[in-house]
Amino acid sequence: MAIMMPASDQAVLDRRSEIVAALRAIVPGEGVIDSAAEMLPYESDGLMAYRQPPMVVVLPDTTEQVSRILKYCGEQGIKVVPRGSGTSLSGGALPLADAVLLGLGKFKRIREIDFDNRVVVTEPGVTNLAISQAVAHAGFYYAPDPSSQIACSIGGNVAENSGGVHCLKYGMTTNNVLGCEIVLMSGEILRIGGKTAENSGYDLMGIITGSEGLLGVITEITVRILQKPETARALMVGFAEVEAAGECVARIIGAGIIPGGMEMMDKPAIHAAEAFVHAGYPLDVEALLIIELDGPSVEVDELIKRVEAIAQGCGSTTCQISTSEAERNLFWAGRKAAFPAVGRISPDYLCMDGTIPRGALPKALARIRDLSAKYDLRVANVFHAGDGNLHPLILYDANQPGEIERAEAFGADILRACVEFGGVLTGEHGVGIEKRDLMPEMFSEVDLNQQQRLKCAFDAQGLLNPGKVFPTLHRCAELGRMHVHAGKLAFPDIPRF
Amino acid sequence: MDRRNAVDTLKVRDAKDVEQAVRAAIAGEQPLEIIGHGSKRLIGQPMATNAVLDVSALNAVTAYEPNELIITVQAGAPLADVQSLIDSKNQQFAFEPIDTSALLGVSGNGTIGGMIGAGLAGPRRIKAGGARDHLLGAHAVSGFGDSFRTGGRVVKNVTGYDLCKLLTGSWGTLAVMTEVTLKVMPKPESERTLMLAGLDDATANRAMTAALGSPYDVSGAAHLPNSAFRPATGALAGLGAQGRAVTLLRLEGIAASVADRANSLGKALTPFGSVETLDDAASATVWSAIRDVEPFAAGGALGAWPVWRIVCPPASGGALGQALARDTGGDVIYDWGGGLIWAALPPKPDAQAALARQRVETAGGHALLIRASEQVRQSVDVFHPQPAGIAALSQRVRNSFDPKIILNRGRMMLMSAT
Repeated sequence: MAIMMPASDQAVLDRRSEIVAALRAIVPGEGVIDSAAEMLPYESDGLMAYRQPPMVVVLPDTTEQVSRILKYCGEQGIKVVPRGSGTSLSGGALPLADAVLLGLGKFKRIREIDFDNRVVVTEPGVTNLAISQAVAHAGFYYAPDPSSQIACSIGGNVAENSGGVHCLKYGMTTNNVLGCEIVLMSGEILRIGGKTAENSGYDLMGIITGSEGLLGVITEITVRILQKPETARALMVGFAEVEAAGECVARIIGAGIIPGGMEMMDKPAIHAAEAFVHAGYPLDVEALLIIELDGPSVEVDELIKRVEAIAQGCGSTTCQISTSEAERNLFWAGRKAAFPAVGRISPDYLCMDGTIPRGALPKALARIRDLSAKYDLRVANVFHAGDGNLHPLILYDANQPGEIERAEAFGADILRACVEFGGVLTGEHGVGIEKRDLMPEMFSEVDLNQQQRLKCAFDAQGLLNPGKVFPTLHRCAELGRMHVHAGKLAFPDIPRF
Repeated sequence: MDRRNAVDTLKVRDAKDVEQAVRAAIAGEQPLEIIGHGSKRLIGQPMATNAVLDVSALNAVTAYEPNELIITVQAGAPLADVQSLIDSKNQQFAFEPIDTSALLGVSGNGTIGGMIGAGLAGPRRIKAGGARDHLLGAHAVSGFGDSFRTGGRVVKNVTGYDLCKLLTGSWGTLAVMTEVTLKVMPKPESERTLMLAGLDDATANRAMTAALGSPYDVSGAAHLPNSAFRPATGALAGLGAQGRAVTLLRLEGIAASVADRANSLGKALTPFGSVETLDDAASATVWSAIRDVEPFAAGGALGAWPVWRIVCPPASGGALGQALARDTGGDVIYDWGGGLIWAALPPKPDAQAALARQRVETAGGHALLIRASEQVRQSVDVFHPQPAGIAALSQRVRNSFDPKIILNRGRMMLMSAT
C-alpha cells in the first residue's frame, strides 16, 4: 500500500473479543460480524486497489443502537469507520485493522414522503435511485444522479456530497438536502434542519454534507424532490479536434444555456464505448459531446436549435439529435457504460476526478496526453464537460510489476495539473485516502489546520474515520493553541478614522 | 453615553492588515465589530465592542469570468456595483440577495461580504437555492488571526470540508472574509407573473403548493393578504392599491417556454379563480418589492413595528401566518410558496417573541427578529434559540474558528447567554 494509514493500536486489538461481546450486547444476533470469511465483503470499497479487513463489523438498525455503539467506542478509545453501500471511489469506507466498521445497510426504510412540502425523509441506507422510484408515480424525482445510483446509498451521497451527470443544472447533494439526524462520536443524537429551506444558526447541514464520514454518523436525511421535466432530448456532436469541442462547451454556457447534462468523451473512450454497447457513436472524431436539454417541449426544441447552431459555428463534423426516448437513451448508453467499456480493453484502470475551469479543457487534455507518453500508459477521457469535472481513466495492468505505482503517479500529476490550471483535486468522488496526500497541493497547513479544528468540534478524540482526508493528523489540543503575539497595544500600522 | 464615541475604527487595506488587527485584538482582549458599509448593522443583538474593523477598502473585483460563470471579488466591494457589472454581461446572482435598506431604514445595499455574512436570499431561493449555494470559495481571516482559504473557483468541488457553507449566514462571527468567489448565472430572457386575486392565506398556500408541485418550473411564489395594500401600509410598487389579496407565481426563461408554461399553469390554477398576468418589467418590479419586503418599509406606516423573518415548512405557512396575524393584530406577507413569512407585529417590549416563537416552533420553523429597536434587541433573542445539543455544537464550531470570541462578540447570542 502506497498510502500510510494510522498505526494500529495493539491495546485495542488485544481486547477484540471483549469489544465484540460489548457490541453484541448492543446489536443482537447477526448484526455483529467477526469471522474473517464473513467480513471479506467489507475489506474494500469502490477503490478496490486498497484492502484491509476491519477488526469487527457491526450493522445496527436503530438510531439508538448507533448512539450506543459510538458512545461505547468513544469511551473506550476505539476507532470507527462508517460505511454505506461501499461504492466510494476514493476509499472513504476503507476499514482499519483496529477499527469497528459501522455499516448503515439496515437503515433502508423511507420514513415519509411529503409531496406538499416536496421532501422525502429517508433512512441513510436507501439507495439514491430508490428515492426517485418511490416518488415517480407523482411525477417527482430526486435530482442528484451519481453513476452508481442503483447501488449507492443516500447516506453515502451526503457523506461524499455526490454529484452526477445532471448536477450542472440541478446541483450536487449539498444543494438538495435539507436536514438530517446525526449521531456524534459521543453518542449524542442531534437533529439538524428539516422541511424548511434553511436552518437557523450556523449551516451545520452544509458542513456535514461532504465531510466524508469524519464528523458524525447520519441516521436520517430529509431531501428535496423536484417535478420531472416534461421532456428531455439530447444532441450527440462530434468534433475533429478536442479544442473545438471545448470551445463549443464554453460558448453554450456563454450563451446563457444551462443544459441538463453536457458530457465529453475523447477518442479512446468513444471507441471503447462503441465496441461495448454499439450506440452508433462516430469513430472518426477526436471528441464527442452529449448535450441534454430538458424542460417543456417548446423550450427544448428551441434550445436544441440554438445548441446545434453553436456546435456548427465551432466546426462540428457530426450532429445527431434524438427524436425519441429510445434514441436519447442510446446516446447515453455509451457514456454511462464508459467505465465498464474501458474495463474491457484493459485489465485494470484508475478513475481520476479533478475539476478545472471549463476554459482550461484543451490545455488539460494536452497535458494528459503528454503525461500519457511520459508514463507510457494509455488513458481514456470522460468528462462532465459542463462543469469542468474530468474523469481520466488511466489504463494499467496490476500484474505487471510497477504499473500500479506508475498509474498512481500519473494520476497524481493529472490532479496537480488541475490545481495548476485553477481547479481542484476532486469534483465529486471525495478525498478519502486516494487524494489525501495531495491535499497540500491545494491547501496550506493553516487551511488544513482550520478544517481539522472543525473536526475537533464534532469528534475531539479523532476516532471517527481517521486516516481519511487529512495528510497529517494533529491533536485537537495542539490545533486549538493560540499563538498570542507580544502584548503590545492594539492595532499598530493600520489607518484609523 | 454614546459608546460609538469611544470606538476605534480600523480601516484595513489588505488581508495582512486584517490578520494584524485580529492578532492585536486577541492580545488586547478587545473584541472587534466587523463591518463593510454597515447596512445590516441593525440586525443582531447589540454588541458591546469598542473597536470596528472596516473592510470597505477591500473593494476590488479580482476577476470576472462570464464564460466560467464566476466572479471573484473582495469582501468590501459594493454589492450594487458588482450587480451592475454582472448585469452588463446579462448575468445575475440567481439567489436574489435581499436589499434590506428600506426595511431597516438605512441607505445603501451594503457589500458582498455583508451579502454572504447575512445570507438572505430572495424569492428565487425556491428554485435556485440560497447564498450558501452560490459561494464557491473564500479567503478569510479566522479569530486566530490566520488567513485561510476554502473551496475554489470551480462549481464542482468536494475537496475538504465545505467551510463556505459555514461562513454564509454566520454574521461575521467565524472569520473576516477578505475575498470570495461566487457563482453567477445567466439572466432569464423573459419573465411572466400569474396573479390570482382574493384568496385567503390558507387557500393561497394551497394554490402555491399546487404550482410548486407542478412541472412548470415556478421561480417565485408569494402571497400578499389584502392588509398589505391598506392605504396606511404603503403600496407595493407595481401593483398600486389593490384592496384585495393577491397571489403571485413567477415563470422565467425563454419567451416561448414562459408562454407555454404560463398557459399550462393558468389552466392548472383554474380551481383557484381567474388568472391575470404581469409581463417582464411589471413582473420584475413586483418581485423586487416582495424581495425587499416593501410593505413593511421603515418609512411606511408599519415602520415602527418589529419585523420577524420566519422560515417554516412551505405547506404550513398559510395556517401559521394567518394565526399569527390574528392573534397578534399583526400583518404578514408570504414568499417561497409559504416557506418564508415576513411578519410585522404591533410593538410590545418583547416584540411578541414568546408567542411568535411558540407558534413557529410548533409548525417546525424558526424565526429571526430582523427589525427591532436596540432596546428590544437588548433583551430578546434575535436569532432563534436552538436546542441545547445544537447550541453546544454551534459554540464548539465557533470556538474552532474564534476561541477568544473576538469577532462580532455577542451578535448572534444574548450577552447573558455567552
